[in-house]
Amino acid sequence: MQDSDLDDLLAAARADRPTPSPALMARVIADADRLQPRPALRAAPAARSRPGFLAVLAEAFGGRGALAGMAAATLAGVWVGAAQPAAFSVLTAGVWPTESVSVELIPDLFAVLDPEG
Amino acid sequence: MTPPPDALDDTPDEALLVLYANGDPTAARVLARRLTPRVLGYAARLLGGDRAEAEDVAQEAMLRLWRIAPDWRQGEAQVTTWLYRVVTNLCTDRLRSRTRRGTMPLEDAPEVADGAAGAEAGLIEADRAAALQAALAHLPDRQRQAVVLRHIEGLTNPEIAKVMEIGVEAVESLTARGKRALAALLAGRQPELGYEEG
Repeated sequence: MQDSDLDDLLAAARADRPTPSPALMARVIADADRLQPRPALRAAPAARSRPGFLAVLAEAFGGRGALAGMAAATLAGVWVGAAQPAAFSVLTAGVWPTESVSVELIPDLFAVLDPEG
Repeated sequence: MTPPPDALDDTPDEALLVLYANGDPTAARVLARRLTPRVLGYAARLLGGDRAEAEDVAQEAMLRLWRIAPDWRQGEAQVTTWLYRVVTNLCTDRLRSRTRRGTMPLEDAPEVADGAAGAEAGLIEADRAAALQAALAHLPDRQRQAVVLRHIEGLTNPEIAKVMEIGVEAVESLTARGKRALAALLAGRQPELGYEEG
């Protein structure tokens, strides 16, 4: 086969790029969304020579971003625990529409905490 | 229906990747639109036209790009070079396991329609495309990669050298040998493909 004919074939092949199916594009985008890093929170001040307690704690939890997430989750948990039962049942009613019963796992918590009795 | 033009359409690949890694909600879409066809096309050529397998490879290659985005070192390599290398390696693995499983499909070109019907431009084009794909499938892996990257994907020899992790001279040798082999494989089929015998 002459060079020019082969070049002809190759040129046709260049022009003939397959179009990805919508399904493939959807999968690729879904992967991108799933793997996208969550935006990091503001970086802490410049590191000192010895890591502070928070830095060490952050390492344990996998970074400041994760630690901040933990802090946020903890605060949310404290809020949920301390909030009035009515507020909590509003939250759960949004999830499943039944009456929620609040159970005091540690009855009279403040009595327990108060060493004076 | 074409999607509306994106503000990021003119942004270079690398910048888009960095934007993606920093949480931009549309950068990945632009990158995917831009790069998935190239990745798919290259994979399909290496895998003998197997569209389903090429889609798997394309998805895997893009997935690896999303994964490496936070660690991407700017200015070191082109995103496309990196992707072509990933696809090359993924396809090499798949072809090797095909051989191991003993199910190496030799993509035969379809029977060329006889005289009158074969003269139709559309059929000729399809036959030519199939003939080229079949011939490519007969090349040794490295020659096929070099020829496809050079003559179909349009990369320069230095770019191909980076993709294939070999020297530029090795690339030139592979593309030259690959083209000669293609010409030999396609020899004698010129009339049915609408070319003069030569």
